[in-house]
Amino acid sequence: MENSKIIIGYLIYLPIVIVLTIYVSKMLFKNGKYFMLDIFKGKEDIALATNKLFEIGFYLINIGWALLILKITYRSTLGMSTQTLIEILSKKIGGFSIYLGVMLFVNLVFFFRGRRKSRQTYKTVTKTPVYNVRNEQ
Amino acid sequence: MNYNLLTYSIYLPIIAVIMVKVGWMFYTYGEVFLMHLFQHNSTLVKSVNNLLLTGYYLVNLGYAIITLAFWETIETLPQMLNTLSEHLGVIILGLALLHYNNVLLLNHLVKSKTLKL
Repeated sequence: MENSKIIIGYLIYLPIVIVLTIYVSKMLFKNGKYFMLDIFKGKEDIALATNKLFEIGFYLINIGWALLILKITYRSTLGMSTQTLIEILSKKIGGFSIYLGVMLFVNLVFFFRGRRKSRQTYKTVTKTPVYNVRNEQ
Repeated sequence: MNYNLLTYSIYLPIIAVIMVKVGWMFYTYGEVFLMHLFQHNSTLVKSVNNLLLTGYYLVNLGYAIITLAFWETIETLPQMLNTLSEHLGVIILGLALLHYNNVLLLNHLVKSKTLKL
């Protein structure tokens, strides 16, 4: 009886987590494409390839983590009640959702940093000749 | 069905409706600020805004769900109302705090125009 509740918990947990991961990563990399195009200054093949690679990494990390924290440990002589199951599931799904949100913001920070870095290098390249010309005069 | 489960089933819809509504309002009115900050680059603003909205939903709904695990056991009807209002109040106040923080920050950024992006 106790075991069957745990299995029901897994069956609820897994679809929610996997659908959430797929949705978030679709969202992130559909919008991240514009950042990549901006960072690589319109070189579309490199931008799209980098985007795809980031997406694969995102899937691997998040689904791997979701599977790692799957295990429900509950030891009691009494069977597990529905309430306990809901509370355990809420802890797991809520925790995973917060983790996913943090990962999303970390990725966003990477995008912004890459964008700023590519702009900075662009600026220094255009500025140096101007500086040299002034010195010669 | 005991009181705890009843309370959860009242609590979750209320908090979901509040969070989705508030998030949608941030999304629509925050776009104007982002437009100013990114020099009216509308594709980028749209994507940043979408990502911010998704992150907001994930973190806030995740927090709202995770607090379920730490509630006390509820035995009577008055106790149920007390716990319900207490938890809802905490989350809504937290939301308000974040909201004012956000508004102040955005105002500061738009005024100073020092966002180097």
